Amino acid sequence: MKRAFALSLLAGLFALSPLAYSAPPEKEPLKPDEKPIVIPFELLKSRHMAIQVKINDKGPYRLIFDTGAPTNLVNNKVAKEAGLLEKGDKTAPLFGASMNAKTIKKLEIGGLKLEGMTTMVMDHPTVSAIAEAVGPVEGIVGFPFFARYKMTIDYEKKEMTLTPNGYIPGDAMAGMMEKLMGGASGKKAEPNVLAPAAVWGFDVYDRKKDDENPGVTVNSVLAKSPAALGGLKNGDRLLTLDGRWTDTVSDTFLAASLAKPGKAVALVVKRDGKELKLTVTPGKGL
Amino acid sequence: MRWRTALVLAACLGLLPLLATRADDKPKAAPDPRAAKAAKVEVPYRLTDTKHLMVRTKINGKGPFNLIVDTGAPAVFITKKVAEKAKAEEGDKGWVNFDSFELEGGLKVEKARGRIEDLVQLDGMNGMGLAGVELHGVIGYTVLAKYRIEYDLTSDKLVFEPLVAFDPPPLVPLGGKGGEGIQSMGPMVKMLTAMLGIKPNFDTVPRGFTGIEYEEKDNKVFIKAVLAGSPAEKAGLKVGDHITSVKTDGIDSGKDLNKALAKAGVGTKWRFHVTRGGKEEEVIVELGKGL
Repeated sequence: MKRAFALSLLAGLFALSPLAYSAPPEKEPLKPDEKPIVIPFELLKSRHMAIQVKINDKGPYRLIFDTGAPTNLVNNKVAKEAGLLEKGDKTAPLFGASMNAKTIKKLEIGGLKLEGMTTMVMDHPTVSAIAEAVGPVEGIVGFPFFARYKMTIDYEKKEMTLTPNGYIPGDAMAGMMEKLMGGASGKKAEPNVLAPAAVWGFDVYDRKKDDENPGVTVNSVLAKSPAALGGLKNGDRLLTLDGRWTDTVSDTFLAASLAKPGKAVALVVKRDGKELKLTVTPGKGL
Repeated sequence: MRWRTALVLAACLGLLPLLATRADDKPKAAPDPRAAKAAKVEVPYRLTDTKHLMVRTKINGKGPFNLIVDTGAPAVFITKKVAEKAKAEEGDKGWVNFDSFELEGGLKVEKARGRIEDLVQLDGMNGMGLAGVELHGVIGYTVLAKYRIEYDLTSDKLVFEPLVAFDPPPLVPLGGKGGEGIQSMGPMVKMLTAMLGIKPNFDTVPRGFTGIEYEEKDNKVFIKAVLAGSPAEKAGLKVGDHITSVKTDGIDSGKDLNKALAKAGVGTKWRFHVTRGGKEEEVIVELGKGL
């Protein structure tokens, strides 16, 4: 019964807040003359990166820049000042979290302006703890922001360099809600099937239990297949595929699931005690 | 209530507890003058379903373990289980000195250290299977600050360039209460997971192997090559065959074909409908092992 209750709750809330969970549309296609923008950051005593951010012309506020945060986040104080909250907004009893994501009309970081960025509103206990130790910190800037850029972080110069890359960040929250709902069957989920993105023409088998050396052993290299054309041979110990470790059959399939057809990639193998780098172009096929 | 807990948890994933009272008072090592021009290393990563950048890492030669690249974490954190597997033991002031710490792509981090902690954020994600992959820890400031790192979600690699002349400022004691607020959510998360009845499965199986190359022409898929000795050859698929459907799925594109067989296991049988020399043929292919 409890489960049913939680499920219906989840379902109801998910269905009722489509606006909150839909990703902002990508407004502009990539311009060819995009110049990199340099944003300085402050290295806090807590060793977090902090940047100055204006929200709807208010601020600047000091926010933590966090590559490990799937969403942006500001506290209730900033949300109120910047007009992110609407009348009748309900707040969760936990950390004053708002029920759904808010849209920031105008976000400015240095010379960079963004419209329609989404954020969560919440008094995050870790953010508060950091603020207690290092002075005011009002929130977090994460994935929905930085994913849109080719970004270089340099701790020596204390700056990040951003160039738009045209990437449209999906909505992490929506994805998680889907997962929560989809996975709530009470049964153990089926194992994931790893499908290679291209056809290679060889097989690998797992090393024996007592074999601690890296790699998998290659067999069944098919005649005239992309693998054979690239010089792969039966008995080769495959160490990496396109830079990814291949220590198990499943590693190998994972690496192959990420290698696109028609694109040449490096396969590093050990053959007769020597490491060789082969170049293989997998074909469009399966 | 519960979904909120989940969301709050999710929002906290990136930010880890402060190392409040534990100073990293390791004496500074002078930068190595020999390594004047260090090479860039391309590190493959995966974007998890929770939008985390996950990099596989071998610790003390064991693993690979799935770690999140996290500027919101002050140091490297690994779970107790990982520490056990990697035979990493806590030393002075709770720090572990790793004998080796290698990121996929061949980046060896010298003198890497870390902490052993079962972070509630990771427990939560793993318990609910949110990330789509089991997570084993995070890579934070103490390692990340040694490199100039290029992130680009349109590429499948991160680029790490060692800052050879730079010695990142050490961690300092901060006082304060650390991140207990979040860590105390542990029991709540466990309850939520149990209540929702989510049992994630991180196991993987390879898709079955057909052994054809195809080409697409005018919304039709033709077999361009049948690999020698492949299941396709044994079943009797021929070069030039126009694949019209697989089982009940109509095939108009390579995408359709890949979709039809996306979850096809090794040893499963699939009915291919093809047009060959103007005639309809049905070919049953038993998928093999391979890629």
